[in-house]
Amino acid sequence: MSARSEQSKHLRERLNNELKRVSLDHCVKCTLCEQYCPVYPVTELFTGPKFVGPQAERYRDGDSVDHSVDYCSSCGTCTVVCPQGVKVAEINSLARAVMKVEHGMPIRDRLITETTIMGKMMTPVAPIANAVLGNSLARGVMERVVGVDRKAPMPTARSQTLHGWLRSRPKPTNKPTRGPVVFFHGCAGGYFEVDAAKKSIEVLEHIGFKVLVPKQGCCGLAHQSNGLFDRATDQVRALVTQLRSAGTDLTIVSSAGSCGGMLRHEAHEILGLDDPELLDVGTRTRDISEFLMELHDAGELPTDFKRIDLRLPYHQPCQVRSQGIGMPAADLLRLIPGIEVVESGAICCGIAGTYGLKKEKYEIAQAVGKGLFDMVAATNQGVVACDTETCRWQIEKSTGVRTVHPVVLVHQAYGLS
Amino acid sequence: MIDVVVIGLGPAGLSAALKLAESGRTVKLVAKGEGGFQLSQGTVDILGYSPERVTSPLAAISGLPGGHPYVGIGADKVRDAVLWLRDTVGDELLVGDLAENYVLPTAVGAMRPTALAQPSMVAAHQASSYAVVGVRQLKDFPAELLAGNLGCQVAWVDLPARKEVDSSAHMFARAMDDPGYARRFASAVAAVAPKGAVLLLPAILGVKPGTWRRISDQLGRPIAEVPMQPPSVPGIRLHDALLAKFKAAGGRVIIGSRVVGCKTAGGRVASVTVAVAGGPRDLRASDFVFAPGGFASGAITVDSRGKISEPLFGLPLTQTDANAVVGPDYWAPHPLFEVGVETDDAGRAKYDNLYLAGDIIAGAERWREKSGEGIAVATAVRAAESIMGGRA
Ligand SMILES: Cc1cc2nc3c(=O)[nH]c(=O)nc-3n(C[C@H](O)[C@H](O)[C@H](O)COP(=O)(O)OP(=O)(O)OC[C@H]3O[C@@H](n4cnc5c(N)ncnc54)[C@H](O)[C@@H]3O)c2cc1C
Ligand code: SF4
Ligand code: SF4
Repeated sequence: MSARSEQSKHLRERLNNELKRVSLDHCVKCTLCEQYCPVYPVTELFTGPKFVGPQAERYRDGDSVDHSVDYCSSCGTCTVVCPQGVKVAEINSLARAVMKVEHGMPIRDRLITETTIMGKMMTPVAPIANAVLGNSLARGVMERVVGVDRKAPMPTARSQTLHGWLRSRPKPTNKPTRGPVVFFHGCAGGYFEVDAAKKSIEVLEHIGFKVLVPKQGCCGLAHQSNGLFDRATDQVRALVTQLRSAGTDLTIVSSAGSCGGMLRHEAHEILGLDDPELLDVGTRTRDISEFLMELHDAGELPTDFKRIDLRLPYHQPCQVRSQGIGMPAADLLRLIPGIEVVESGAICCGIAGTYGLKKEKYEIAQAVGKGLFDMVAATNQGVVACDTETCRWQIEKSTGVRTVHPVVLVHQAYGLS
Repeated sequence: MIDVVVIGLGPAGLSAALKLAESGRTVKLVAKGEGGFQLSQGTVDILGYSPERVTSPLAAISGLPGGHPYVGIGADKVRDAVLWLRDTVGDELLVGDLAENYVLPTAVGAMRPTALAQPSMVAAHQASSYAVVGVRQLKDFPAELLAGNLGCQVAWVDLPARKEVDSSAHMFARAMDDPGYARRFASAVAAVAPKGAVLLLPAILGVKPGTWRRISDQLGRPIAEVPMQPPSVPGIRLHDALLAKFKAAGGRVIIGSRVVGCKTAGGRVASVTVAVAGGPRDLRASDFVFAPGGFASGAITVDSRGKISEPLFGLPLTQTDANAVVGPDYWAPHPLFEVGVETDDAGRAKYDNLYLAGDIIAGAERWREKSGEGIAVATAVRAAESIMGGRA
């Protein structure tokens, strides 16, 4: 048996045993998943979660019959809203992985997922990289050759990585008054969104934590949502080892909204990993807003915030909502006097990791995000808050409004910037 | 600090949560998934059959057997609760004075009693004659069957919601919120609509309340929306309105996480355990409202030997052996669906600060008597008022 069919057989077995049997038959066809799916209403190329999930699954016995599953963006919403516990998004992700193993994968899907490599390569040449990515001729070539839409948002490379900053910055002056925590910044936080990561560290230090920042690679989420399960597995396992190297009983605080979800549930539920080390890391991981709100609920968060008079549109990324933690970033921002948080009410910004970068999906992603972009245009006063990097790029590119991690405003309110 | 944790996002959970948030309580609502409002007809049933068809639902409450959820509450409180809901969402969403049930056609042409309905539906009550217009691309609306059962004329329009042979009601309703599409729809309907005192149309006239008026005005004749199976557009309207009000009142929602256990001490619930991604979290609060639905939502389970249980709090049920309460005749009443938890007059069970609302409460086969929403709202308001110490 070839390696490829071996791999697809293995995935199929998981699809059958872990997801299909335990949850497929719970579907009562109530259509709630359809009602909330962000992709289904904007394109007739996608028949919606109920059809491609629990319904089509019955016909996938031996062949990937329904290729429209590739239009599912893996936003996870269907699983969140399903009252019967059907793992719709997980079924879709696995079905797509099987399909890609059996039918091949565009080279583009392999390239755009290599976020760490991209970050490492771009940092020393940041000005050049930015010029190239901003150049329409170069983007035209990129679109034709690798299928990344020329209008899609691209990260801005920074000339200093987070670890470069950590090495060169003056040591924090205040003594830690609370225990150590491990900081997880994700690959974007390390290379592209360095500002959010720096400010997260400074906020945690300001309120008395000692912040440990082990060297860390990519969580593999982008590979996973593109069906590249083997590569995703290698990456998340490596990351787990790195995060555990800083201590095996410390809270891990994450400023990478969606990547935290990879550690907490997706690697386990979608990649099917049962490693005790992964489960341990998942249990200890908190989104930074969630972490700060847990402190607040325990009466342990300093709230000597400076006033910021601002009407602030806030968008919760789909992959943060799917962690089932409520909306801690909005709760946190509401503690800052003067900030009026306006929740976007949008299910998804459209980008869903790498989905909206692809030329055949670009228009769909823009249509998915349209409600959000209109809302931002109508309510913003110069800044939007959102927890995940790729979503911030998408919102900023599509609306022209500066989009920041919520912690950036907390940093400002503590008088740190 | 959280005052109240509400479990469930159906009619009961939403109503209790909103009532408490409006009274200034800090409320966190936790639900593993969406609830029953979006699957409903978008109307509010109080009592439709008992067992014969009921004309005046409040008057009929006094004739109900002991053990029915309404009996401990009484007709006055049921009325107050349902009117609170009506006035809260406003008359663009719910109308009715509860004196008499509306009797409205279903999508298959049966006549169905309900206490409150949406203003887009009520023209169908006691109409002298009907006409029906269906949409070719909306196969979920069986216009021929509806017209056949009502003995009236039917016509069809050919107007896709988008490029596909068959769209869901929700997709049509989204399209209808665009005034251009609504105008084209009304023109197409006007061109074919048969004669009849009231023109019945599928309930796709906008996700937003009020879109239907534009179509009605352009047609210049009485129309009535006929609710369909899920995705139920009128149900979505009600759900969205209540949720928006809850959030505006400062309410917080955790969706997508199941409540899996609780910690108790001294006869009280101290916290509930929520299975968020990665691991369990304890949510502490002073009071808890448990509105998880019943059999349909998996809140009451039956195992392969027929043992009925409520797995979360281990609440006592009125019956624990399913074999004794399921009859051989599919269409006959099944006492199984009356199985649930009995509460005290404040709506509590087992713990001093655990208040129950909705389908979890024993004593009624909701869909048979058409009482689900009324029980949900009345028990939710009772729970909220008990928590508020009787103060409104
Ligand atoms: C087929 C059918 C037809 C019906 N027809 C009618 C009718 O014609 N008229 C009528 O009046 N009624 C009808 N009903 C009944 C009506 O649907 C219910 O009475 C109503 O939905 C009950 O509301 P609820 O809020 O109690 O529960 P639900 O609407 O079931 O909501 C329960 C909520 O709790 C959540 N939940 C459950 N367990 C947990 C947990 N462990 N952790 C976190 N969250 C949890 C669920 O996700 C959901 O959000 C019908 C019911 C069915 C099944
Ligand atoms: S929400 Fe769940 S039960 Fe309802 S149709 Fe979707 S998968 Fe099935
Ligand atoms: S994961 Fe998101 S895009 Fe995919 S089917 Fe579910 S709701 Fe739709």
